[in-house]
Amino acid sequence: MSRRVIGANLVVSIKTFSREKSVMFFTIAFPIILILVFGTIFLNQDNLSFDLYVQDLDQTNSSAQLVKILELNGKFRITTIDSSINATQYAKDKKLNLVLVIPSGYEKALARRVGLVGGIPNAAFRDPNASVTVSFIYDASASSTSTKIQIIRSGFAVVNQGMSGQPPFIRAAETPMLTKRYRFIEFFVPGIIAMSVMTSSLSGAVNMNAELRQKGVIRKLSTTPITRTDWILSNILYQFLLAVISTMAILVVSYAVFSVRLQIDAWLFVFIVLEVFAFGGIGMILTRVANEAESATAAANFIMFPMMFLSGSFFPLEMMPGFLQAIARILPLYYVNEGLRAAMVLVDNTAALRYSAMIGVFATVVFVLGINTTKWEEGK
Amino acid sequence: MTTEPEHAIDVEKLTKRYGALLAVNDISFHVRKGEVFAFLGPNGAGKTTTVEIIETIRTPTSGEVRLLGMDVTTRKRDIVPRIGVLPQGFSSFDRITVRETIQYYARLFGCRNTDVDGLIELANLKDKSKEQFKNLSGGLKQRLGIAIALVNDPEVVFLDEPTTGLDPRARREVWDVLVSLKQNGKTVFLTTHYMEEAELLADTVAIISKGKIIAMGSPDELIERNANYLVLTLKTIDAAPFDIIQRMGFEPVHDRHKNIKVRVEHTDDVQKILNAMKDAGASSLSLDVRKPNLEAVFLKLTGEALREDSVEGVPE
Repeated sequence: MSRRVIGANLVVSIKTFSREKSVMFFTIAFPIILILVFGTIFLNQDNLSFDLYVQDLDQTNSSAQLVKILELNGKFRITTIDSSINATQYAKDKKLNLVLVIPSGYEKALARRVGLVGGIPNAAFRDPNASVTVSFIYDASASSTSTKIQIIRSGFAVVNQGMSGQPPFIRAAETPMLTKRYRFIEFFVPGIIAMSVMTSSLSGAVNMNAELRQKGVIRKLSTTPITRTDWILSNILYQFLLAVISTMAILVVSYAVFSVRLQIDAWLFVFIVLEVFAFGGIGMILTRVANEAESATAAANFIMFPMMFLSGSFFPLEMMPGFLQAIARILPLYYVNEGLRAAMVLVDNTAALRYSAMIGVFATVVFVLGINTTKWEEGK
Repeated sequence: MTTEPEHAIDVEKLTKRYGALLAVNDISFHVRKGEVFAFLGPNGAGKTTTVEIIETIRTPTSGEVRLLGMDVTTRKRDIVPRIGVLPQGFSSFDRITVRETIQYYARLFGCRNTDVDGLIELANLKDKSKEQFKNLSGGLKQRLGIAIALVNDPEVVFLDEPTTGLDPRARREVWDVLVSLKQNGKTVFLTTHYMEEAELLADTVAIISKGKIIAMGSPDELIERNANYLVLTLKTIDAAPFDIIQRMGFEPVHDRHKNIKVRVEHTDDVQKILNAMKDAGASSLSLDVRKPNLEAVFLKLTGEALREDSVEGVPE
């Protein structure tokens, strides 16, 4: 191993990186775009907030109060519709999936129910049969409609129950499993780190070994003092550098835009190193099996894209059918995802250790195989 | 310590097999220090296989190859710093400039004193030193490849088909660089299928065909030995000269430009033909007398042309 040679290779790699816009894009811009897009989409999962259109035909203090109750729930951004227009037509025109219509006479019915006399409830005047029908104008094809109606119904249930004057029988107590409350984005960031380290290591290894071989650069290098070990080490070091750059870019954006709170410690470093070795090794094996640069790149994509979607980088495994979950559990990226989440989100050292051991074994096997399959001299 | 060997390269009974294919078949030759040695042969003759075995990047099936007295199969580590190689189809890192590429290779060899500017000048790349590799033309890439082959001031330089695929002008520019290399006293091992290249540059030429060396010597010797005659070419619009020459006992032929070509033994014969034509009142627009070149030697020895586009040579 020669530090001089490895240094020279790194200089060339870094210069190439800084001059090759597509590599730069996939290393830095692509993961950032993913974080921004998915982070924004899923932001609502933590802070579920739906649009709700309300037409108040009663226009009284009581009806306004009902709207207030729905708003205080925190789940809705409420927009009121002018009482003079046709709500059904309006919903169609504006492509709204749900409009809540409070009928006129709401306040009067409420007054009869509670037996309001001169503004003061009087049990003697209470009419238990007085009721009011609030109507939903909805589009059944919209996915969020039923969720919205359920939330509104539970709001109504609270109002109805309050009117009975009795305390509720069943109460619900919510105890989160985690001591801290986590947001979706905090689970998403480790997945994106794992994904981008995978893509840069795998395609980096393929590029270094297949393309440069096909072009004849390796042939020239094999007539210089550089050894196969120097070459592979330089590549791994460079892949690691790229991995660090893209991880830093992801973290900076995540902190700056989404104010994530993540545990950043030695585990992050450990998982990145192991992942670089694992996917660098896979890349070297692919290069040998594929032999031609184009087919090696195709093989790399063939491995990368399904892995991205199946191993839970973008969405939780629970969303997938059972057989896909079983597939996910044999993918190395799944273990990197879970390991990084254990380390960065759950701060669970035992789990992180378990996952790192699994990836460690995988990386060792694959990397050793990769070294042995990498051709350097022109053949025997 | 080994004593200083007399030859730069010694090849004894070298054979290389790829499965059933016999790429190099029991060849032996020596390259003297300081000479330009050319391996001349058509594609697939075994040139590159041989040169790559000497460069230590392929292993022989059998036979012995010594470079500067060292066995190429066991002493790669000692050999590599003392040789410079321009491999066939040389390529480098696309985004790295000419100057940076030379510096990179100098660093690989651990050479602190490489005269980067001198190499750029030698390869005539001064205007292009800041150009990235991918933007260079084929000829410029080859010239950079030659400069790189010299970063470690090697004792033996291998140039594997340095001008293949280049247009005639770019080829000539590469030859200029090779001539200055020769003047610097390096031992050069050149493989080529261009006989002009071998004739122009080489002190010794080995003609290789189907894995065998079929002739070896200086270009003049080879021609003397195998094609010791002259070729007279007459450009004429007259039909008469052809018959006149034929009647004199020579065997004229028409080439594809309708010129008359005739093989003669001495300059006296040329004089005789011209006199006969003059007596008969026949004339020619131009005439040309040439010694045959290595192409003709190759044609004679193998019965096939060196290159598919070859137009040289006269039928036997």
